[in-house]
Amino acid sequence: MTRPARLAAQGLAVALVIGLLALLAWRVANDNGKGVAQALKDGEHPTAPAFDLSRLDGRGRFDLMALRGKKPIVLDFWASWCVPCIHESTRLEAALKRYGDRVAFIGVDTKDFSGDARDWQRKHGITYPSVHDGSGSVLAKWGGLPIPRIFFVARSGRVVGELIVEEDLPRYLRQIAAS
Amino acid sequence: MKRLLPIVLFALLLVPTARASESHPTLAELEGEVMCPVCETTLDQSSSPAAQQIKRLIATRIAAGDTKTQIKDRLVAEYGSAILAAPPHRGFGLVAWWLPVAGIVAAAVAVGFGARRWARSREPAPAGPPLDAASERRLDEELSRFEG
Repeated sequence: MTRPARLAAQGLAVALVIGLLALLAWRVANDNGKGVAQALKDGEHPTAPAFDLSRLDGRGRFDLMALRGKKPIVLDFWASWCVPCIHESTRLEAALKRYGDRVAFIGVDTKDFSGDARDWQRKHGITYPSVHDGSGSVLAKWGGLPIPRIFFVARSGRVVGELIVEEDLPRYLRQIAAS
Repeated sequence: MKRLLPIVLFALLLVPTARASESHPTLAELEGEVMCPVCETTLDQSSSPAAQQIKRLIATRIAAGDTKTQIKDRLVAEYGSAILAAPPHRGFGLVAWWLPVAGIVAAAVAVGFGARRWARSREPAPAGPPLDAASERRLDEELSRFEG
């Protein structure tokens, strides 16, 4: 192999290694970390990860950051294929009547077909707005499957808790409504 | 050239099949090319409610006369590109298809170069310049002395 050819091959190998290292750095920088659910289990109260998604009803987009400092939030991750989600969303719909003026109820329809999701909302009488997270990328930041997953976010943007025991719903609602 | 003829004919036979698959896809073939978003397997390996939902959607679109590309585009719009079991043959997806081929070609070239260098190093050293008449005569005398 001639000297220029050898230099070119070595340059190519170095460029390949640098490219792979850059890819690794990008992956680490964009890592979702342990997710909100795990952080809560560890006793932390992380800031709610931001998202900006299309609304399921077609009325533009919804940006979670827009509510920071203005209103506490109940975030409900659901899908039309998820049977237990019917029960949880129906309970939230009932709570909406009592807390709807002080707390924002937002659904995140995840890994779901939006047409089926809209039918599901109509069928079960769910009126609070939902956004469409088809790829599940937002769900992944909050803890991933399984769903339903319901989170409570204080007015400051800090995540107060996740609904694990059904009986905790009124307590969490009172807590964030007073935040 | 004669050896290539069967391969070319075979490739030509496959063209109408590929076109039929694109314009009239079947549920069975798409089930093997689309992922279930909650179980990380292809649809044909899953009977979860989420997989059933996508199978129904595909069956509806096939009945409506959509092509395979239209159905896949619709699924990607709803669920993101991770819904496809293989990356698409366009855009950045091409990298995933051609990178292994480029790697194999680069490895073949490297092995070829290495083999050529190794073969050259084993060739006998070339003979030196021919002897002049005086040296040849002297060599013959020396040899005859040994043989004698």
